Amino acid sequence: MGGTITAWDAVIIGGGLTGLRAALQVSRAGLSVAVISKVHPLRSHSVAAQGGMNAALGNVRGEGGAVDSWESHAYDTVKGSDYLADQDAVALMCREAPATVLELEHMGTVWSRLEDGKIAQRPFGGAGFPRTCYAEDRTGHNVLHTLYQQVLGRKIPVFEEFFVTSLVRSGGRCMGCTALEIMTGAVHGFASRATLLATGGFGRIFSRSTNALINTGDGVALALRAGAPLKDMEFVQFHPTTLYGTNILISEAARGEGGILVNRTGERFMERYASHALELAPRDVVARAIEEEIARGNGFDGGYVHLDLRHLGPGRIMERLPGIRQIAMDFAGVDPVEEPIPVQPGQHYSMGGIDVNIGGMSGLSDLYAAGECACISVHGANRLGGNSLLETVVFGRLVADSIVGDLPKIHESAMDTVESAMKETETEIREILGRSGGESPFALIRELEETMFLHFGIFREGQMMQEGLRKIRRLRERSLQVSMTNRDSAVNQALVRYLELEGMLQLAEVVALGALAREESRGSHTRRDHPHRDDRRFLAHTMATIEEGEVAIAYKPVTLGMFKVEERGY
Amino acid sequence: MELKVFRSRPGMPGSRYDSFEIDPVPGMTVLAGLFKAQEKDDTLAFRYSCRGAVCGTCAMLINKVPRLACRTQLQALLEGKAPVQLSPYPALEVTVPWDAGKEVLIEPLPHLPVIRDLIVDMSLFFEYYRLIEPVFSPAGPGPERERLMSPAAVKELVPYTNCILCGACFGACPVNARNPHYLGPAALAALYRFCIDPREAGGTSRLRRADTPDGWWGCEFHTNCRRVCPKGVPPNIAIGRARKELKATGRSAGEMGGGR
Ligand SMILES: Cc1cc2nc3c(=O)[nH]c(=O)nc-3n(C[C@H](O)[C@H](O)[C@H](O)COP(=O)(O)OP(=O)(O)OC[C@H]3O[C@@H](n4cnc5c(N)ncnc54)[C@H](O)[C@@H]3O)c2cc1C
Ligand code: SF4
Ligand code: FES
Repeated sequence: MGGTITAWDAVIIGGGLTGLRAALQVSRAGLSVAVISKVHPLRSHSVAAQGGMNAALGNVRGEGGAVDSWESHAYDTVKGSDYLADQDAVALMCREAPATVLELEHMGTVWSRLEDGKIAQRPFGGAGFPRTCYAEDRTGHNVLHTLYQQVLGRKIPVFEEFFVTSLVRSGGRCMGCTALEIMTGAVHGFASRATLLATGGFGRIFSRSTNALINTGDGVALALRAGAPLKDMEFVQFHPTTLYGTNILISEAARGEGGILVNRTGERFMERYASHALELAPRDVVARAIEEEIARGNGFDGGYVHLDLRHLGPGRIMERLPGIRQIAMDFAGVDPVEEPIPVQPGQHYSMGGIDVNIGGMSGLSDLYAAGECACISVHGANRLGGNSLLETVVFGRLVADSIVGDLPKIHESAMDTVESAMKETETEIREILGRSGGESPFALIRELEETMFLHFGIFREGQMMQEGLRKIRRLRERSLQVSMTNRDSAVNQALVRYLELEGMLQLAEVVALGALAREESRGSHTRRDHPHRDDRRFLAHTMATIEEGEVAIAYKPVTLGMFKVEERGY
Repeated sequence: MELKVFRSRPGMPGSRYDSFEIDPVPGMTVLAGLFKAQEKDDTLAFRYSCRGAVCGTCAMLINKVPRLACRTQLQALLEGKAPVQLSPYPALEVTVPWDAGKEVLIEPLPHLPVIRDLIVDMSLFFEYYRLIEPVFSPAGPGPERERLMSPAAVKELVPYTNCILCGACFGACPVNARNPHYLGPAALAALYRFCIDPREAGGTSRLRRADTPDGWWGCEFHTNCRRVCPKGVPPNIAIGRARKELKATGRSAGEMGGGR
């Protein structure tokens, strides 16, 4: 196999928006930094984000001519989170938001514009102002390409198609990582003083997900295995409108621009669920409404409702929502100018993740995390659309700043420790490739995804979840016997899928246990057997660790302060 | 129906075609078909990520047209819908028996070295992208707020910023087929994007970056690039305009050097 070991001030795992923004910041500080990504950075999931990025720029006035403010953005975010977000982190993100959008503009992002030449903003669910900045409906694509160009400009080394297999833990700290070079099969070691996980979400543990196929949550599982606690993992966002069939996202922008939801009887049913906000109520509210309509038999055969854009007219659809129109035509054969789009709710975002403090530091020394893989907790129990792209770029920068600040206190990592971790990884891969006669990883992955959607989907219930947990544990046992016919270490995608599956199963169990223990309904977590929010017991973050091989659940207080906890109505 | 798939292994000489029997459900894409095939033979290798035609990972030669596997429907191919007429180049020659009514022919993206099966080494493609220095360089430091830009100026840029760097055009270009030094449609379109950005300092002087026989002047206007582009990017228009501007500004090194 013959891998190499290299030493760095900082290693960033992940080449999405978070990772690239962080890499720029570390590089600007004159430190050595490498980015590792299992796909070419431009193929990261961030590229798919459509709708936009929130910032109280105040370019577009709200109702009655009111001007937006970061405080108002923070209020919407905290309320949207069902009060589970940490209010200090929310305040920080919202305060930094306008500068972040402008910074990207200064790097070259082609934001959509108003007639007066300023950056355009549109309304998004759960927001009191038109606050979402966008680049047509290809915002993630535009911002990711901008940051990638900047990374090229600084000649920052990027290890593409390197799959990180383990974090190196020794003496109670993280010393770097090992990675499988997918195209050659070599296992490499990266010794780093600071390591940043920017590996994105774990949406693909669910079937019916809007996420890229690569969003398997590897980084979250790596952190858990290395001993860093995870937080609020049971909070999984289901997006109300995903294309029936492939579950490709139909952005909230479609509703922001005026699209309406109708059931099979032609009724605009949101009038019954959120009489004021209607289609622009927060995602959890709309997703539950659609699921409820389908459950009551008001959906179309196969389980979907209609998203109707026709009244917007061809001009507006083609100008404001060209990407959505293309998706509907390419993947459902429907032209929204002429027909309504068939939609159903699907998994969309992982609110939970690696527990980090406001500086992005995890529970393991010298290991940091930011972006969707982290839970700094700006989204709490439910994320508002447009806040996640914001989080990636704000905290990509700020967490890199805290790494740069901490580095003088951090020692070099021991090369021999990294080397023995490489050997372990090589042995493990040899063992996996040497197995025979077992099941293939593909079937197990599918079973896991289906189990998660069925037992831990939009509506949850104790008995159902217990059964789901048993299934996950059985799958985990079966996974130990998985084998593949492909014995090559180079370009072996079955191997990569299997390595992903190992982590997915661990995360599934953490989600399951967190969901079972949380006997209330809050944000995205809806329990039929506990329909109300219970602030007395559960205004708290769920913390998960592995103790003696078992997942252990505990709770930690939420940081309040700026806004009073209230009933959440829309 | 069957997928007829090009196969090769690193370090092993020769290649072959394997057939995989697939039962296509309506709307099934080539990428979804390949996943089915991979379940039957886990040595089959192809790249994937978004499965929604936005990340640019899965460009390959499908029925002798470079396309995104995730955006191409099997049924439409069998029915011969939406045919794409391309100016010929060697990779388009059919060298194996192929029944287009029953089989979908899937091969790696041309003009780049094959690593395994449908995975090609994209290094050269990205090297040319880097070569045009795709980094925004405005005049002076950023103002406190945004640089103003009219919606009309944005509209001019969008056809070029839409490029997802999938490489389909690179694999479709008869000039790339012949001349490995030609920067190719995507890199040139990207360079043009910076030249027409009103916020840029360099403006049209940036055009000089590709004022060479392997840059703007290499193009022969086959327009295969535009015909295969999944995002409607028109590299041919960028190239035509760039040439015109270079001619208008006087001496042009590339033009005088002549084509390869
Ligand atoms: C369809 C869709 C649309 C969205 N639209 C919006 C929107 O409009 N507005 C908004 O605010 N949010 C949106 N979101 C959410 C937002 O896009 C994501 O939360 C965000 O892009 C995540 O960025 P990230 O940098 O944290 O991770 P990602 O972009 O997911 O990047 C993860 C990186 O980690 C790497 N990686 C992972 N595992 C490994 C490993 N084992 N080894 C090496 N590398 C690894 C990957 O290669 C990748 O480079 C959307 C999400 C979806 C699904
Ligand atoms: S111009 Fe089109 S075909 Fe060429 S790389 Fe860009 S998106 Fe792909
Ligand atoms: S998988 Fe992303 S473009 Fe096809």
